Amino acid sequence: MDDYAIGVLTNIGLFSFLALSAYLLLVAGEMSFGQQAFFGVGAYAGGILTALYGWPLPFAALAAMALGALAQFLVGLPTLRLRGLYFAMATLAAAEMFRIVFELVHWRVERNGELAGPDGTQGFRGIRWIFEHGIEPIDYLFLVYALLAVILLLLVWVERSRLGAVLRGVGLDPELAASVGIDVHKAKLGVAAAAGALAALGGVLYAHHNTYIEPRNFDIMLGVHSLAYALIGGLGTAFGPLLGVLLDIGVLEGTRLFHGYRMIVFGGLVALLLVFRPRGLLDERMVLWIRRRFS
Amino acid sequence: MLADLLQNSLDGLTAGAAYALFALGFTLIFGVLRRANLAYGPAIMFGCYAATWTHLNFGAGLLLLAVITLAGAVLAGAYVERLCFAPHRGGSAIAAMVASFALWMQFEELATIVMPHHLYAFPALYDGPPLALGPFTLRIDGLVMLATAIAACVLLWWILYRSRFGLAVRAVIEQPTAASLAGINAPRVFVRVFALASALGGIAGYLVVASHGQITPMLGMWSTLKGLLAMMLGGLGSLPGAVLGGLALGLIEAHSQWYFGPQWRDLIAYLLLFVLLAARVPWMTTRSAS
Amino acid sequence: MSLLGVQDVVTAYGKIEALKGVSLDVAQGSITCLLGPNGAGKTTLMMSIAGILKPKRGRIVFEGQSIAGTPPHAIVAKGVALVPENRLVFAAMTVLENLQAGAYQRADQKSVGEDIERMFTRFPRLKERAGQQAGTLSGGEQQMLAVARALMSRPKLLLMDEPSLGLAPLVVEEIFRIVTELHQDGVSIFLVEQNAHMALKVAQHFYLMEQGKVTFSGDPGSLAEDEVIRRAYLGSAQA
Repeated sequence: MDDYAIGVLTNIGLFSFLALSAYLLLVAGEMSFGQQAFFGVGAYAGGILTALYGWPLPFAALAAMALGALAQFLVGLPTLRLRGLYFAMATLAAAEMFRIVFELVHWRVERNGELAGPDGTQGFRGIRWIFEHGIEPIDYLFLVYALLAVILLLLVWVERSRLGAVLRGVGLDPELAASVGIDVHKAKLGVAAAAGALAALGGVLYAHHNTYIEPRNFDIMLGVHSLAYALIGGLGTAFGPLLGVLLDIGVLEGTRLFHGYRMIVFGGLVALLLVFRPRGLLDERMVLWIRRRFS
Repeated sequence: MLADLLQNSLDGLTAGAAYALFALGFTLIFGVLRRANLAYGPAIMFGCYAATWTHLNFGAGLLLLAVITLAGAVLAGAYVERLCFAPHRGGSAIAAMVASFALWMQFEELATIVMPHHLYAFPALYDGPPLALGPFTLRIDGLVMLATAIAACVLLWWILYRSRFGLAVRAVIEQPTAASLAGINAPRVFVRVFALASALGGIAGYLVVASHGQITPMLGMWSTLKGLLAMMLGGLGSLPGAVLGGLALGLIEAHSQWYFGPQWRDLIAYLLLFVLLAARVPWMTTRSAS
Repeated sequence: MSLLGVQDVVTAYGKIEALKGVSLDVAQGSITCLLGPNGAGKTTLMMSIAGILKPKRGRIVFEGQSIAGTPPHAIVAKGVALVPENRLVFAAMTVLENLQAGAYQRADQKSVGEDIERMFTRFPRLKERAGQQAGTLSGGEQQMLAVARALMSRPKLLLMDEPSLGLAPLVVEEIFRIVTELHQDGVSIFLVEQNAHMALKVAQHFYLMEQGKVTFSGDPGSLAEDEVIRRAYLGSAQA
């Protein structure tokens, strides 16, 4: 497989984590414009731990996930009682604050005779743990997908369980859920923490894949994209967001179809698709139909 | 010190006037549709780019450019309304808003394809020196912006409170069901309000670009963010709030930038919004946002 | 002669059918009343006739024309006006503006002014409060306003959804007096009411609705009044 294909496939995997994080919140009934912030938290935290303090990637990833979960939990604590556009705007504001913080952070440490670490708007270069440990692109690709597979298994298992039904119920009709005794706020906070962890995991993997990150990578457009992937792929299953990512990065960018006007095509596709399928391609009805057909 | 305070306030109000116009456009659309149009800024940008393109290829006077900007913004707005809001009228608000993102992406890419440079010059509104009033400087284009904003508000007030169309708009905003039952064609009101909001945005966009003398593809995101921020600060769904929110945002930014620099300027604005939302301040969170 | 015919109408909210096949007629020049317990689907029926809701199946015929699925503003233009449950006045607008809104569909805007004068004659309390915000009016006054607003479109058929809801007995009497007056002026009226006693005093024909279907049709003498009232409030399944 050539390097270009490996690169595209890896990107599909990386952005799937972000799309899944937006998806989790959508299923719980909240539209977040800010998942890119936690992607960034994971990227910066993971990068700092491996590049500046020599942590092995697995531990850095775990720490990054914990930080992402915490960050999203803290943002969610005062805001998850807000609904609809209010919540969305709060997440937007929070995400932009994170991005500006990334612009203001200068965490320079001397390593191997020179300064390394995030340098505000100049970015953070030298996140080379993968390369320093002889991991080939193809190996990394497998790593990303192995992790994605684990996450998907976990999500599918939750979806089939009572917890999954509860969370979906909270998303579709919070008043009803509250009336049967479910603590809606706590449920949403749980989902938020999970979403933060997922986004952060994607972020740390992204940072190590690119070796260089800058605050501009984590802007609103990234968040907008992840939300779009989740929604058009479909809210019926965890595979939905993956489908969304695949459609954009896989089909449109990967095949270089419509090269140069990919966003115009993708944008039009999203808008048109939503007219006919407001909950995405793999929405709840489609998933039910598929399950019935193959059982 | 006081001179700085006043000068910054003056500059802040000028910038805030543009924000107020953007916020008014967002609020009009939100008021009747209960949804945020995230392609609002990009549609305005479309109009501005159309004017820039015309100017580059044919050379055009300020007035013609203003007209083209307005027409472009309204056209782009109609496209957005048809594709993102009309199909989801009784349905999913999230689908409508995400669809409007999608069109935002389209407009941005279209701009960079047709006009690939990052920056283009735009004929300045006024080329001469700023007005000096004692220790203060007042830019002429800033004055024009303020005057236009005031004129736009007066016009909007007149339309809403003195015209039959305005009666219908207010009815739809207040009680959509009762409005339909009274014989008001709600879908037609939506389309017209959208056009009105796009026109307001087009005027604001034109003035911003003509004041700065340049245009970049960031205009779309920038005007969207400022408009949304101002709308939320002033209390979602309130037209007077939109104006106050815009002016307040301008003032907050001007002072924050003076004392802390550009990054802190943005940080403070976002922080303020976040804190106000988190505290669920009543004036901000009373309108149902679908 | 049937002014309004509802034939086997089924209206659903998503998967839940609120109307399971409703059929009834409103005769020209009559006051027809629809009674039934809460949740029977009476408001859903009114909303379906007025065009706010679109029936899944069935026909709604007005003056020989099928109107099911027609948008609400077009139905107003045809001569059907609904005074909705809870009045839904435009609280931030003045009494005068509320009336003007009701006349929005009118092609002849000049005669609207005359009609407003007529409304003020019929509803003197509204004239006193013409410039006041509708939200500051009392419940009874708001009900008058809602009726006047609906009348501004010069309807041939006036639909009224629970006009006496939440009002004091004296005000309720006034409302029903107005209903009788309108009827004398030639307006046909289709009235949903919880106050079965008052409704039966004015109606020529009544229907009983329970759980999405019409369960009784007759004139006010045909069922003993206490039986009607029991079924209107509790439904016939009760002992």
